[in-house]
Amino acid sequence: MYFIKPGQEVGAIRAESPVNSSLRGCTQRKALAMNKQTRFTPTSPWRERLLRLSNDAAWGEHFAYWFGKVTGGLQLRLEKLRPSSEIPWTPLRRPIAQATVAIITTGGVHLCADRPFELRTDASFRAIPRSSSSADLCITHEHYDRRDALRDLNLVFPLERLLELEAEGIVGRVADVHYGFGFTQDPRDLLAPGRKVGRLLAQAQVDLVILVPA
Amino acid sequence: MGLLAREIEACGVTTVALALVRELAVMVKAPRMLSLHWPFGHALGEPDKRDQQYTVLHDVFSMARLAPRPGLIVDLPYPWKRQIYTPISDWTAESQAFLQELAQALQEEQARV
Repeated sequence: MYFIKPGQEVGAIRAESPVNSSLRGCTQRKALAMNKQTRFTPTSPWRERLLRLSNDAAWGEHFAYWFGKVTGGLQLRLEKLRPSSEIPWTPLRRPIAQATVAIITTGGVHLCADRPFELRTDASFRAIPRSSSSADLCITHEHYDRRDALRDLNLVFPLERLLELEAEGIVGRVADVHYGFGFTQDPRDLLAPGRKVGRLLAQAQVDLVILVPA
Repeated sequence: MGLLAREIEACGVTTVALALVRELAVMVKAPRMLSLHWPFGHALGEPDKRDQQYTVLHDVFSMARLAPRPGLIVDLPYPWKRQIYTPISDWTAESQAFLQELAQALQEEQARV
């Protein structure tokens, strides 16, 4: 039971979907209330079917790869976002066994209690404390098949794995706060929030950040 | 993803980004990237396969330690659902697969220059 029709009763759930000021002239699509049982934002049945094809059939997977490559490539090219040859560089300061590690995911992961992402495009981010269990976390994203990620959230947000490594002494410390991003149509929108998150991570004395895509 | 990595690295934090589409990884020029040819939403592998997820994290740590210069993309050679993963015995040593791919990435880069 993954789909909720508009207007259907889904139980006492959460706040209204946010109004995102960064939407440029596009019709805003409201995120429906989160389905409490499955913990991901329901989308239209046809979209869901297509997304599942990308995971269930080999040709679907090839098509999804091709589609992602072409649309992402066009976006970057049209917006002249081919970054200059100067790439920022910070060498790892201390060995992994002493380092503080944080995760950033673009898989639309956020605390269920937090404001969900705008489905169409949303460049804002949500803080995810290290104490959150996978039952506390929801996914608001409609551009990938989220069934496996919900079965095991570590696929897009490997917090449990890192905590296990911390307990074994392989990783120095898992950072107190991690960050989740949603789907962003225009990559340029990510620059300012990216810088903000970078500053927050630097303030928290994080040594290594793992960036996990959807 | 790569753009985020650039912004964060500029703030003085080491980053390693995973990429599922190699062509995009090449375009955004992030400081350190590991490319995996796996389906979307599966950057760490398959659900409930701990060893597979640890293998990716192990290679992420190796990349953070060993990448010699910015902009390097290392292709992890693990095929989707056709690889047997074993528990990692030594986290301080790099996996053979990673070392091979790193050497190859460096060689290709040199050949291009």
